[in-house]
This record gives sequence, C-alpha cells and structure tokens, in this order.
Amino acid sequence: MSADAVTALALSIRVALAATLLNALIGIPLAYVLARRAFRGRALVDLLVTLPLVLPPTVTGYYLIVVLGRRGWLGAPVYAVTGWSVAFTWYAAVIAATVMALPLLVRTARAAIESVDRELEKAAFTLGRSEWRTALEVTLPLAKNGIIAGLVLAFARALGEFGATLMLAGNIPGKTATVPLAIYTAVQTGEMGEAVALVLALTLLSCMVLVLAGRLGARAT
Amino acid sequence: MKHRFAVEITKRLPGFTLDVAWTAGDGVAVLFGPSGAGKTLTLQCLAGLIHPDAGRIVVDDRVLFDAAAGVNLPPQRRRVGYVFQGYALFPHLTVAENVGFGLRDRPRAVRDTRVADVIARLDLGGLERRRPSELSGGQRQRVALGRALAIDPALLLLDEPLSALDAPLRRALRDELRSILSGWGTAAVVVTHDFTEAYRLADRIIVYESGRVIQAAPRAELLWQPASEAVARVMGLRNVLHGTVVKAMPDRIQIAWRGHVLEAVNSPTHSYLPQPESPIAFFIRPEYVRLVRKDRSAPDAAHHMNLMRGTVAGEADFGTVWSLRMRLDAAGAPAQGDFDLEVEVPHLVYEILDIEHDRHWEFSIHRGSIHVLPT
Repeated sequence: MSADAVTALALSIRVALAATLLNALIGIPLAYVLARRAFRGRALVDLLVTLPLVLPPTVTGYYLIVVLGRRGWLGAPVYAVTGWSVAFTWYAAVIAATVMALPLLVRTARAAIESVDRELEKAAFTLGRSEWRTALEVTLPLAKNGIIAGLVLAFARALGEFGATLMLAGNIPGKTATVPLAIYTAVQTGEMGEAVALVLALTLLSCMVLVLAGRLGARAT
Repeated sequence: MKHRFAVEITKRLPGFTLDVAWTAGDGVAVLFGPSGAGKTLTLQCLAGLIHPDAGRIVVDDRVLFDAAAGVNLPPQRRRVGYVFQGYALFPHLTVAENVGFGLRDRPRAVRDTRVADVIARLDLGGLERRRPSELSGGQRQRVALGRALAIDPALLLLDEPLSALDAPLRRALRDELRSILSGWGTAAVVVTHDFTEAYRLADRIIVYESGRVIQAAPRAELLWQPASEAVARVMGLRNVLHGTVVKAMPDRIQIAWRGHVLEAVNSPTHSYLPQPESPIAFFIRPEYVRLVRKDRSAPDAAHHMNLMRGTVAGEADFGTVWSLRMRLDAAGAPAQGDFDLEVEVPHLVYEILDIEHDRHWEFSIHRGSIHVLPT
C-alpha cells in the first residue's frame, strides 16, 4: 500500500471517529427528545434529520454548501469576520459524514429509547429524580445497547461517505481525500493496485464494524 | 374518622371523565371497581404523574394539588411511594440499588443504614446483589414495596399489587401484604378489581364505576350494606332481584316478589322508607338460603320465615359447594332468565339430602338475609 493510501486510510478513520463523536453529542440528546418529548416542530426536526437517508448524497452536499459554503447562510458571515471557511477543510469532511450518519444513529437510538418502559421513568420521578437525571440513570442506561449499535452504524456510514464529502470538502489528497474518494481517484487515474488495496481495506473495516454491530444488536434484544 | 387525606379530582380524557371525591383515614383505602373505572388514573393524579383538570389533593394537611390556588407539586416533591402494577423495578440495578434509589441525595451512611433496615424488614436479606430478573414474583413485589417505603412516604400507592402473580402465590401474598401494610403503618391506597382482595386488604373501600365513586365505606359496611344496585353489581353479588314495596317501616320492609311477600330487615344505619307500590331492588346471598329438611317436622313460622317452594332447574359443582338454580312454583316468568334464585349448599348437605335425585324443595330465607338496595 502506498503512502498516499495509508494517509487516506488514516484520514478516513480520523474523520469517521470525529463524526461518530459529534453524532453521539448531537444524536443521543436528539433521539431522546424525539422519543420522549412532545413539542411543536417535532415532525419537522424528525424530517430534517431523516432526509439525508433518502436524498442522494450530492443533494445533501449541495444543501451543506448552501449553508456552510463561503457564500452560504452561515458560511458568509463567518468568512466575513474571520477570513476562514470550513469548505475544503477536513472539518468539512467531518461535517458531511456527521450529517449523513446522523439519521442512522437517531433512528436506532430513538427506537431503543422508546422501548424503555415508561413506568420505570415514572417510578424514578416518584423517587425524587428529575427528568434529566432519570434520563441519565434510567432511560439511557437501559437503551445503551441500541445506542451503541446506532453509533457503530453511524461510524460505518461515516467511513463510507462519498457524495456529500466531495461536494463540501472536495477531494484534496492528504487533506480531505478519504478512502472512498481516494478509490475513485485511483480508478480514474488507472492505478488499479492502489484501488484494490483501498477497496479491500475498507471492506475489511466495514465487515468488522458490521459484525460488532450485529453482536451488540443481538445482545440488545 | 380522622381524615388523613382528601381527594377531589376531575380529569377529562377523550371518551372518559374522571370525577371523584373521597376521603380516607389511617390504614388502607382500597379503590375497587371494574377495569377502566378510573382507579389507576386516580393513583397517577395522587402521585403527580397526571395533572388533573380541577380539584384538590391534601395528604396529612399538606396540599399536593389545588387547581384553584395553582398548587401542583411535581412527583419528585410529593413524597408519595408508588408500587406499579408490573412493579417497574429497574432491571439494570441490583435489589439494594433499587431499594436505595430514592435515597441518593442522602449521606451514604444514612442511605446504607436505611437500605439495610428495609431489606431486613421485608425479609430480602441475601438478595441484595441480585437483579430483578433473578427474583421470584413474591420477592419482586417486596423489592417494589421496599423501594417505595424506603423514602418514608406520606402515602403509599399500590396499583393491582397482586395481579402479576399466580393464583396460589396470590393468596399467600395477599396476607403478607396486609401484614406489611399494617406493620409499617403508612397510609396506603390500593387499587384492585378483585372483591376478595379488596375486602382482605382494606380498612375502607371506595367503589369506582365509570369514573365516579358510587360508594365509600368501611369494608364491613360495604359487604352488608351496598348503597345501590350499581354497587351490588360491581361487587359481583348474586341474586340481585326486583320487587315492589308492600310496606316500609324503620325496622322492616315487606316486598312483593314472584307471588310471595318477603319480609326483610331495613338497613340498620340508614332506614330506607319508600312508598308502597314503588319498585325496590334487593339481594339474597346464595349461601344464606336454607333448604327445609323433609325428614323433620313441618316448618313453623317462628323458625322458617319467607318460605318458598321450587324445583332445581340447573346446578353447578364448584368443588366445595354446589350452586343450585331454583325455579319457584309460581306463575309468571322466572326472575333471572330460566331460574328465580341461586342457592348455594355445601357438598356434604348436597349428599345428605340427596339433591341429585330429589329435585323439589321448600326453602326459607331469614329476614336478616334479604338486603334492600336503595335507589
């Protein structure tokens, strides 16, 4: 395997791990709120989170550019003040992977949280626990396996992210070219050996992740 | 009776309205009635898990809820112990952690002492490190009780505490539960739809039907003086019959029924004086009907009042007793479909009198065994 391939693999793992961490920070509270709270706009939030699952990744990528690009709704003011844009940095790859993986975590974790018997939460309330502490001490620990399975799926999805990453982060070797992008480049430039090595590496990694997810899923039921 | 708590709540749900008011003193109050009558909803309102539309809940002079004054303590601050129908034990925690769950804000030493005390008193010693999934039904019930009692609640609520158990265990635990509740001395409200269970556990029974209270009384009073036909039906009383008043006096009531004039004792506490000719409901407990033996001298009025004759139209063997469906020798349609009166006799009596072959009997009912149901 070439040095570029190793770099791409390291970058992919780094991006996927960062995206999984962001998923945990955003997705678990989001899943809890969607599962347990009735609020105005819940259906809209649910729709927005789920949309990347069904849209072509390039469409999701396009929306990300509209919001975060140098001339985007958020991107333009940030650029005006700091002279920096997230587009075409490795952060952009992380953001793209996070958005693409979020529906997998949120849907899995939400189902796990919804399956926790509400009487347990009510029991915790009568025993003096606030809703916040009940979530931390009762609901989330009991939904743990489903949440972990969701995180594993999110990691796998982040690892394979291509379209949205290409749109927002580009395909800059050593900087934003994750394994799927590097494979594309290798095939385009006829470096088949490089492509095969990366394909096998990614297949192996994905298989390991799926086996892990399957085990956690089996334990959760 | 000294009121320890007073409940007055209204809660409208789609297709159902709960509108109840009752009080209870020391000891155990049982909310009794059919499923869907609003008993569990009442418990959830008491615990603060559901917000009533209107009303007031006061426990030991502490106002938990008062819609008019805008008071609504959250469940966390009510100090109300709740034993859920399925116990709702935390499956990821041990017995000791479950029991101590409501004590986490106390100093560790205090908590440990209290948990050890509760575990010892509920005879759960040796099970401290078990998970709920490793316990028997009876042990789970005691852990749920212990968890609720550990916080030293002002009021203990139990929702169908025995329904998760098999029949034999259920009978044993009914008695155990009664002794735990009286031993602990905490005022308790128990929900059940089983009258035997209600009677065994209760000091006071509050009868629910369709979101309303149809009677609230000490258990003995309820047993002997159901306030209305509706209460009698909810209690599952048999031989609820309809006749016409002949004459009502403070101590006696004469009732015309199926060609006979029955004499009944009027209610000892609240005399019921309906006008002659008005319709009246009454009930006769099947086990209080006496068959007249044919091998003795003829019945005399002093010992055998309310004499009637009839034929066994149907019978059922319940193991220890026989239930006989008697059809009176009287013109007109029978009072209860194809029979007039259900009579219960012990097996031994059934055999001695050879009822299997001898189907026509004279029987009598003491006036004290005919109970008038006010309308």
